[in-house]
Amino acid sequence: MPIVNESLEKELQYVSDLKEQAHIRALWTKADPLMQEISVSLIQGKNEVVSDLTEAALEKGFSANTILDDGLIAGMAIVGVKFRDNIIFVPEVLVAARAMKAGMAHIEPILSESGIEPLGTVIMGTVKGDLHDIGKNLCIMMLRGAGFSVIDLGVDTSPEEFIEAIEDNEANVVGMSALLTTTMPNMGKTIQAFEEVEMRDIVKVMVGGAPLTQEFADDMGADGYGKDAISCVDLAKSFYS
Amino acid sequence: MQKKTQMTSRERVLNALSGKPVDRTPVANPTSVATVELMDLVGASFPEACRDPELAARLASTGYTELGFDSISPYFSIIQESSALGCEMQWEEKDNWPTVRMYNPIWKDSSDVKIPSDFLKHREVKAITESIKMIREEFGDEVAIIGKTMGPWTLAYHVFGVESFLLGSVDNPEETFKALEKLTEISILFGQAQIDAGADVLTFPDHATGDLVSGEYYKRFLQDIHTDMVEKLPVPIILHICGRTVDRMPYIAQTGMASFHFDSKNEPNEAMGAVDGGIGLVGNINNPETLYAKDPEDVKEEVFKCLDAGVQMIAPECAVPLATKAQNLIAIPEAVKDWTNSKSND
Repeated sequence: MPIVNESLEKELQYVSDLKEQAHIRALWTKADPLMQEISVSLIQGKNEVVSDLTEAALEKGFSANTILDDGLIAGMAIVGVKFRDNIIFVPEVLVAARAMKAGMAHIEPILSESGIEPLGTVIMGTVKGDLHDIGKNLCIMMLRGAGFSVIDLGVDTSPEEFIEAIEDNEANVVGMSALLTTTMPNMGKTIQAFEEVEMRDIVKVMVGGAPLTQEFADDMGADGYGKDAISCVDLAKSFYS
Repeated sequence: MQKKTQMTSRERVLNALSGKPVDRTPVANPTSVATVELMDLVGASFPEACRDPELAARLASTGYTELGFDSISPYFSIIQESSALGCEMQWEEKDNWPTVRMYNPIWKDSSDVKIPSDFLKHREVKAITESIKMIREEFGDEVAIIGKTMGPWTLAYHVFGVESFLLGSVDNPEETFKALEKLTEISILFGQAQIDAGADVLTFPDHATGDLVSGEYYKRFLQDIHTDMVEKLPVPIILHICGRTVDRMPYIAQTGMASFHFDSKNEPNEAMGAVDGGIGLVGNINNPETLYAKDPEDVKEEVFKCLDAGVQMIAPECAVPLATKAQNLIAIPEAVKDWTNSKSND
């Protein structure tokens, strides 16, 4: 089935990497036109339309997983690429995320009742002294969409709170976020705290946030650095593979 | 432009900001060089040093007396106005920055924006204005005093919440314009109060950063407001925006601001090209990877890179991490002097 939605075809033109474009095209080519419409409405940030279409799709008999993968996540894939390539910025991503949440509100209860085992548990939090959470929340939304169980510790998270959450949830992956250059060093302090309680070997640590770099992540002793929400999901998958 | 006769720090900074000759490139701290080491040295620690004028003045002065910078900046954080407006605060301890709990915003839209009648008498506001008076009294015209007044975009994050404000900018841009216009009154009020108290220069942080919004967003929502600020506040203004900003530097260069304080995510040569002489640059020594984590020699390498590119005033890229070693900060003016000497010997 070709991509019948013209707006979606136009969106694909933003994907400059041809291999990546082919991959997303393949996703949409196999998707029903209704799923394509959900995707494009999500990209355009039309939360009420996404909500209505998701409801309609469920009524027509599409499975929650199909709507999630072929409609919502396929749409967020383009949003992620456009954000990564500086075609869109946080306001536009937030609008798309709001639309994704509107769709998720219908399918999340079905998914949680289905009893499907999560891919793994990820503990997420913004480090001590930092109250910024937009990036972290986008990562959490994408991780949940990808099938992970996520424990959100919120902002201003102390090393002790991370440690307690890892123990309580038997998690093997931790994601830490920081937006300020002044709070970034707290990532290193948290990793050091993991070492002090001999927990470092059982958890993989991924870090992210606007001012971070791979070099800084390496210096702090993290296992991975995610530039955006898509990389965050890829990292979590690689840690649990 | 280098001038041979030795200047005072104040002259050096003011000349650099107005494009006049200097004896050497000044080193400034438009945001903050407060560190735990300096707090311990002078017995003035966070959070009290953000709330008490005498402690603020004492800690800020170390930038000049201990580190050898050419300026003193007593407004360390970004929260003084927001505290006075009634935002919920998290004051933290010595080793962490006070912050606004933006997840509990105080206002919903522009109609809520009201400046309290006693705004200038609020403890956190007076901590800055009174400290500026004390610094001026102690140092006279020896050193440049840099005040700071937050821009409307940053204030909007604090009072409306970041996510809510950014979503609103897409859903209802007209409302965003109204809110920014009203919040700008706060920036002007506090900025003028610091000028009246004796500030030579104002830093104007307005975090429309490339990590959050596009260059076009800056042009659409802020360029005119920033241009008006220049007309309304009669001292040199240093605009500060963190993150990647090259895409908005050409717009910033048209505002008439004296200088732009830029982040290490922008290469000095690239930034100089982007502003194309339209505005001076202050920056951009990397905080987390260099000043915090490396050694004086690494710091000096970065300073040389800025000087070689022609950056008009050398500074850390933003407020330095509180655990930064003083020796790394001292290396900044040392490097400037080394570079100047090497050039004069050429």
